[in-house]
Amino acid sequence: MYDQPNLESTVSQNDIKISADKVQVYYGENHAIKDVSVEIEDKTVTAFIGPSGCGKSTFLRTLNRMNDTIDICRVEGNINLDGEDIYDPKVDPVQLRAKVGMVFQKPNPFPKSIYDNIAYGPRIHGLASSKAELDEIVEKSLRRGAIWEEVKDRLHAPGTGLSGGQQQRLCIARAIATEPEVLLMDEPCSALDPIATAQVEELIDELRSRYSVVIVTHSMQQAARVSQKTAFFHLGNLVEYDDTSKIFTNPTDERTESYITGRIG
Amino acid sequence: MNDTHIVSGFDRDLESVQAHIMKMGGLVEQNILDAAKALRDRDEELSEKVRKSDKAIDALEELINEEASRVIALRAPTAVDLRVILSVMKIAGNLERIGDYAKNMAKRNSVLVHMTPVEGARTALGRMAREVQLMLKDALDAYIQRDADLAQEILERDREIDQMYNALFREFLTFMMEDPRYITPCMHLHFIAKNTERMGDHVTSIAEQVIYLVTGTMPDEAREKADFTSRDPEVSDLK
Repeated sequence: MYDQPNLESTVSQNDIKISADKVQVYYGENHAIKDVSVEIEDKTVTAFIGPSGCGKSTFLRTLNRMNDTIDICRVEGNINLDGEDIYDPKVDPVQLRAKVGMVFQKPNPFPKSIYDNIAYGPRIHGLASSKAELDEIVEKSLRRGAIWEEVKDRLHAPGTGLSGGQQQRLCIARAIATEPEVLLMDEPCSALDPIATAQVEELIDELRSRYSVVIVTHSMQQAARVSQKTAFFHLGNLVEYDDTSKIFTNPTDERTESYITGRIG
Repeated sequence: MNDTHIVSGFDRDLESVQAHIMKMGGLVEQNILDAAKALRDRDEELSEKVRKSDKAIDALEELINEEASRVIALRAPTAVDLRVILSVMKIAGNLERIGDYAKNMAKRNSVLVHMTPVEGARTALGRMAREVQLMLKDALDAYIQRDADLAQEILERDREIDQMYNALFREFLTFMMEDPRYITPCMHLHFIAKNTERMGDHVTSIAEQVIYLVTGTMPDEAREKADFTSRDPEVSDLK
């Protein structure tokens, strides 16, 4: 009975989407990420867990060069997206971020209409050549963001007028409007109530069929619910990276076990 | 690994349910010994005591299952905590079964005391029950001390119980063939022997849970069964 493949882990026969090799991140003198190597699979939800200050958000932000915006931040090592170095000087960070979208902790819709929130990215990246095409992108993105039914009759109302959970799904729809390949989520549900959280989690599971999703979460139960792979960070080190079912039933490292069972903060 | 949870109530819940396992184990051990003693001394009163005390064992199993489901619902245990909860539920089930077999031994003894004694059999059955009780004691010690090596040893020891049963099986057959008046008591004694052998299997299952709890994986099922009575051609020849 032990030879049968676990249903959840059979999905992990995917290609490698992002490959990080010996990544170091420094904030000035502070060595925030120490020698992290990890391979993130396509069409898979990967969760980063760990106590506050362990480096999980910092590492997430290296994946679409969001750390470039911090002056004292220095990144060493290699991060490849589909085999191409994303820190190559020839790479335009703005183009990179269209491919590697991001959703933040607090829903941050632009102070514009729902329609314009979604249309903004496709417009600046020139993804639509006509109004009809743009309309199509907006509808498709809102559908994939699982919020179309709720907003289709008020597309020109301000995005900030939606509820918190709706705003977050709007932000996810906005992130996928530019047809990204990877979606990074930094605690996307921590400002949401349990119902909105469940809706976003359901959405994350649907997104997995198209994208590689990487989610940072403080809720271990959320990591267990939504991800197929889990990485545990502690003090800037990647302690353990394995199938989520393995991490939550029989982790290899004692530090992982202590953390997920609630023995260290 | 740090031993205590940040939320101390979690530790108290886990300790409580494990304390109930130990209490249940103690009662079951006592009932095995009492049932065997009642059989040896043809003591009907002690048999009655065993039958009554089995109710407390059943109640503890229910309590443990309730506590375990409460921990699952309220604390969402993971990793070793999850294995503790899964193992207590299984072990409680095993203990309850062992308790039932001891009760059944006591019941049959109440019938046997009114029949012709079968010489020798009761001593051998007493030895077998004593051995099972010692295995159970060690299994529970292994559980509390998280000792996978001791648990592994218990898996090996189950072989001896199987062999004791095989020997008794032949002995009862011989008795019954020699004198048909022995058939009724020997049938009862045989059931007692078989039930004691089954107790050994449940102790083995507890030992396997200890290994699972400590290592996170179940032991390989490579152990050879030593109960040959269901396949020994020599035994079928005796018919």
